[in-house]
Amino acid sequence: MNAFRTILGKDLRTELRTLESIPAMALFAATTFVLFRFGLDRTSLEGSLAAGVLLATVLFAAILAINRVFVSEREQGGFDVVRLAPVDGTALFAAKVCVLAIYLVVLELIAVPLFALLFLDSAAGLAPLALVLAMVDLGLATIGALVSSIAINSRARDLIAPLLLLPLLVPVMIAAAGAAEPLLAAGGPSYDGFGKWIAVLALYDVVFGLVGYAVYDFLLED
Amino acid sequence: MPALPLDEAGKYVAGAYVVFLALLLIYVAIMATRLQRIDRELAELAELAERRDDRSVRDPDGADAGGERPANDPGTPGREAEDVPGGDLRRSSRQEVS
Amino acid sequence: MNFRSPRILPWLTVVTLTAGFALVFFFAPNDADQGFIQKIFYLHVPLAICALVGFMVAAVQAIIHLRGGDSKWDVRSYVSIHISIILGVAVLITGAIWARASWGKWFVWDEPTLVSFLIVFLLYCTYYPLRYAIEDRERQARYASVFAVTAGAFVPLNFIAVRLAETLVHPRVFATSDSGLPPKMWITFLVCLAGMGLLWETLVRFELAAKSSRARLGRLRRALEGDDVGVAGSRIAPLAHGATETS
Repeated sequence: MNAFRTILGKDLRTELRTLESIPAMALFAATTFVLFRFGLDRTSLEGSLAAGVLLATVLFAAILAINRVFVSEREQGGFDVVRLAPVDGTALFAAKVCVLAIYLVVLELIAVPLFALLFLDSAAGLAPLALVLAMVDLGLATIGALVSSIAINSRARDLIAPLLLLPLLVPVMIAAAGAAEPLLAAGGPSYDGFGKWIAVLALYDVVFGLVGYAVYDFLLED
Repeated sequence: MPALPLDEAGKYVAGAYVVFLALLLIYVAIMATRLQRIDRELAELAELAERRDDRSVRDPDGADAGGERPANDPGTPGREAEDVPGGDLRRSSRQEVS
Repeated sequence: MNFRSPRILPWLTVVTLTAGFALVFFFAPNDADQGFIQKIFYLHVPLAICALVGFMVAAVQAIIHLRGGDSKWDVRSYVSIHISIILGVAVLITGAIWARASWGKWFVWDEPTLVSFLIVFLLYCTYYPLRYAIEDRERQARYASVFAVTAGAFVPLNFIAVRLAETLVHPRVFATSDSGLPPKMWITFLVCLAGMGLLWETLVRFELAAKSSRARLGRLRRALEGDDVGVAGSRIAPLAHGATETS
């Protein structure tokens, strides 16, 4: 628990001081919205298109953070410290999941209002959407921390991480888009199949949380 | 869904089974190539061993090889596995890199 | 490692699979709905089942590898995935042909099983780049096993998600795979499935034997040449590719 807090605190402090990840993610999201505006040639979005644009943007912005989340560990020998110190992998894994989840929440606090401002006619669906996004963040953070630790020790790590991530994230995308689509529908939000999709997201988060918990130690030993 | 007439459907069904057969044959062809390479190497090694037998009376294989590199003890599964996962792929990737 | 299979297995595979295909064309009745085209079912579905089961087997082998650290289980996991991917190619191609014949399109996005399979296939394809991006052999084996476990957990989850995404009641042309399958079709299907399972196992053993003999060959070469070359320590780095570098 102590190690968990230390690692989490260290990463958040580093981020606050250097502002390496979150501003880049926010800028990326804003630019992507602009690209979608012209790519789709639409000035307002609703339903599945809105859900797709928002979720794809969040997902790709998350990849930026996921690529960076272990960089400091690698460059400054953090892995060795974790290996040498009596810290088990679970604490590191949990801390990294939390760091990623916090980054994503902060990103969404910026990106979602911006998205609503740019594309949505009404902000009515945003409150329940927050729940969906929270579950998505947890899934992205879990699988992101896992994949990032795999990728960071490989040669072409910037390439490997997205390559592994994208197929793994397909179920998240399916479930999140399924839940978000009726929420962002043109005629005001509806809760068609909302519970079902939340359950799928929860299942995903739990399963990969457990997988990460079970296998993470093996990624650290050397 | 309306059933396709036999002459139409037959082509697709035949196509599917042909694809399966073709993949199997491709696999066999790849394995045959590999077998040939193994055979070639074995021939080389056999020649090497014979030459060495002519040169020296004592049997260097067992004693020397084992003595020099105890880590390479034949029969350690780890050694074997090192060569194993996709040596050919790794080799091709190395060639691309270099 | 002794992968010498019982000699009976390949023959059993040949007999079962041939018998299965014979049953498909001479015994199983034509499907009432789809007619002759339904015969792809006996090829496509067993292939898909074997490929997916193969991925799960790989996950189990990876767990054994992680728990025990014995690298032969990593090799087995690798070969299981390798053969399953080959079968996966066949699944996607036969599936595309079936879709073309049934719906007039090569790929159908609202057929959940096909889409799930594509996603799983794409995921497992990243296994190769992952393996070859990691230099250290021991770490490579460990990371590959972690991947195999993660992907193994992903397979059922993905099928749940994609199936749920199916909007309302899609007219299921694959309805034959439900309980309504007549006994003659069932028998044919089961024989084909058994044959395909045996084929998977045969190919896995074949591949394992090939890999192990190449590794043995490399060792033999090192043992023979090592005497002439006489530098054991300096060859450690290329040793890992000893079996292939000299060819």
